[in-house]
Amino acid sequence: MRIRGLTKSFAGELALDHADLDIERGKVHGLVGANGAGKSTLIRCLAGVTVPDEGSVTVAGEDLPKGSPRASEQAGLAFIHQELNLIPHFNALQNILLGAPKVTRFGVIDWQRSGVAARAAAERVGIRFPLETKVSELSVAQRWLVMISKALVRDASMIAMDEPTASLSGPESEQLFAIIRDLSAQGVAILYVSHRLEEVLQLCDRITVLRDGRIVDAAERGTLDKKGLVRAIIGHDIRPPDERARFAADRSRQPIFSVRDVAWKSAVKGVSFDLHKGEVLALGGLVGAGRTELAHLVAGVARPDAGHFELDGKRLDIANEAQAVRAGIALVPEERRSQGVMLQQSVGFNINISTLKKLRAIPGLPFVSGRKARRQAEGLVAQLGIKTPGIETKIGGLSGGNQQKALIARWLNAGTKLLILDEPSRGVDVGAREEIHDAIRALARSGVGILAISSDVEELALLADRVLVMREGRISGELTGSDITEARIIELSYHDTNDAEGEIA
Amino acid sequence: MMAQAGTAAKDAPLRKSSWKRTALIWLSRYGTIVGLLLMVVFFSANAPGIFLSRANFLNILSQASLTAIIASGLTYTLVVGEFDLSIGYVASFVGLIVTGLMAYQGFPIWLSIVCALLLGAAIGAFNGILVTKVRINAVISTLGVGTMLTGIGFTYSSFPIATGIPRAFTDIALGRLVFGLPNPVIIMVIVLIALWVILNKTDIGQKMQAVGGNLEAARLSGIRVDRIKIFAFATAGFCAALTGTLLSSLLGSGTLAAADGYLLDAFAAVFLGSATLKEGEFHITGTLVGVLILAVGFNGLSIFGAPTHFQPIFKGGILVLAVGMSALARRYAASA
Repeated sequence: MRIRGLTKSFAGELALDHADLDIERGKVHGLVGANGAGKSTLIRCLAGVTVPDEGSVTVAGEDLPKGSPRASEQAGLAFIHQELNLIPHFNALQNILLGAPKVTRFGVIDWQRSGVAARAAAERVGIRFPLETKVSELSVAQRWLVMISKALVRDASMIAMDEPTASLSGPESEQLFAIIRDLSAQGVAILYVSHRLEEVLQLCDRITVLRDGRIVDAAERGTLDKKGLVRAIIGHDIRPPDERARFAADRSRQPIFSVRDVAWKSAVKGVSFDLHKGEVLALGGLVGAGRTELAHLVAGVARPDAGHFELDGKRLDIANEAQAVRAGIALVPEERRSQGVMLQQSVGFNINISTLKKLRAIPGLPFVSGRKARRQAEGLVAQLGIKTPGIETKIGGLSGGNQQKALIARWLNAGTKLLILDEPSRGVDVGAREEIHDAIRALARSGVGILAISSDVEELALLADRVLVMREGRISGELTGSDITEARIIELSYHDTNDAEGEIA
Repeated sequence: MMAQAGTAAKDAPLRKSSWKRTALIWLSRYGTIVGLLLMVVFFSANAPGIFLSRANFLNILSQASLTAIIASGLTYTLVVGEFDLSIGYVASFVGLIVTGLMAYQGFPIWLSIVCALLLGAAIGAFNGILVTKVRINAVISTLGVGTMLTGIGFTYSSFPIATGIPRAFTDIALGRLVFGLPNPVIIMVIVLIALWVILNKTDIGQKMQAVGGNLEAARLSGIRVDRIKIFAFATAGFCAALTGTLLSSLLGSGTLAAADGYLLDAFAAVFLGSATLKEGEFHITGTLVGVLILAVGFNGLSIFGAPTHFQPIFKGGILVLAVGMSALARRYAASA
């Protein structure tokens, strides 16, 4: 398979910029890159789910039609995503044969004979459980085997796997690697996408690194080590440490907010930290490291399985979001449109919604004073520099940055003690980002605890006074002062501080 | 919608037919009002003596009043993004109970009415609890509760309650206490104003709009979403009970299934209303416009001597049209 000049842009931003890639049968190809580097876009273009703007894909000398999932499948390309597309209440055999040609007798499917190919495929991947088992009763590892068998039944010549080991245990991963090596020995090409660099180095014959939509490195096995790989992922232009004066909180005083041994499902595994008055504390790490889940636990969206939180030295017991807000904890969520703004409502409505009680015309009676509401909304619009024709304008008409400022404004008069911002500047232009950062910093200096989450390492370095990096549900390191650099954050995202191999000398 | 010049790139494919787009947006906002006026003009021109008279207008208004009350309660459940299919059954059930309380239990009129309205609110709150706490889909739970009410009503009294109802009770709906307007019209005006004020001028109303606008965002804003929804359902139940009570007063009897038909009228009116003035949002003023369209339409049909079975055709057609217009309005609002 040859990929040439594949380009795709979303809303004017290049997600994939003239990517060239050759994939050969019988080899395992690794694909790595930071969040948003273009890995998913590349895969989606191959699968025919996304239509590329430019470029071509040829499979065994023949052009692959663009934007046709069916054509991709017929060309022998199979895709296995993290969330496996299996039908839970069908058995393994039915799932393997789903959509494949079946042997019928008088129009009724002959499972016995149709199953021959499926059983052969199951044999190849070493399935030991009966194929009549319902998928809902299988483990994640077993489901992967079903998905791979499904691909083999279709004579797939290339199988792309997206983060296959994300929810597998160590031994299960080893088993999967053995199968992958076996398949590649049988002549199947594997495209292996993963954040886990150790795995990629161990498994892949060739590694391609994507950064900002461009292929920045393609190396054969053995020519790259972990350090080199990390460097390729961040890019060589590592910026010098930021000389900005960072606020150093008075650690001797009682923290505003503390997290103690908090755990939740498999996403958060025993996290503890303190947040001090006046500082902007940021959580970095890869997508899926458990940061958003941690934020949700603090904001009362879910309850931790173990551990607890302390606000102003008092232990918190929060069952839902409303209790969190009353305790003074607010969340500005990651998904601005689906969880933050009420698009059909005005800017003023969106700003005032969390402080309606303070806006009553007569205390004790539930009538909102139009005058007070207007004054508060206009005041906050001016304070944060929200660019809007007026507070009556529907918030849906504002730019992302101004919507985000309105969401921050929502909490300024609400007695908020701890404000959590999940991806505060996602989808926001550079100018607005700076204004949002200024607002966040001003809020922190005024005594509000700030916990910011960002996948954008540049943003972390710009915004935070202190950075905690999370990796696989744990805090893998803490950075303060001039130690906060993009390189250090990336490094910690991939390995723990105590991981000797990961230290850059 | 003029302010959104920044989304030009996204709208490019639509640009070609921009006059069509403008016309559609205009139609989706003012279409219902224009339709109502056109109907009034048409009927006035073709049946001047009959349609265009004080008596007929009062007739239309008093017919509209019962629908308007039940429909504005329904508006609340739709504002919070839910559904209530039980309102017609609640109205029938409460209409039966209120007469029964007077005829069988010998309650005074005022006490019977208070009990009836509280019963309606309680049924509504129960619906709300099923939807929010037990998390049963609103369509299913309200349909189930409504169906149960039909059976419970039958158990309570398997035949219409017509004797033993005080004259003063039937006088409530038939009387004209203020300005010579039928009492139900006055009650409708009071209910509509109260519901409008609550929805637009109080915190609970703002919270209802927030919940309906974006559930997750409302939750994260610290709004106790479940309580707000239960309040909306209770209001719908209360309004349905009021309509049922007035209907019994109007009929002079408590009859099984008497008010079941209000369900469809209310839905048609509320959806017509959501395509009025605003882009697919549910609101009290719109609901009133929707109710008037239905009332004027029915009135015209009967003046022109259309057979009774034309009514369901008109009603069903309006419902489909209204939901369609509402969906269209929302889509254009989203793309603008």
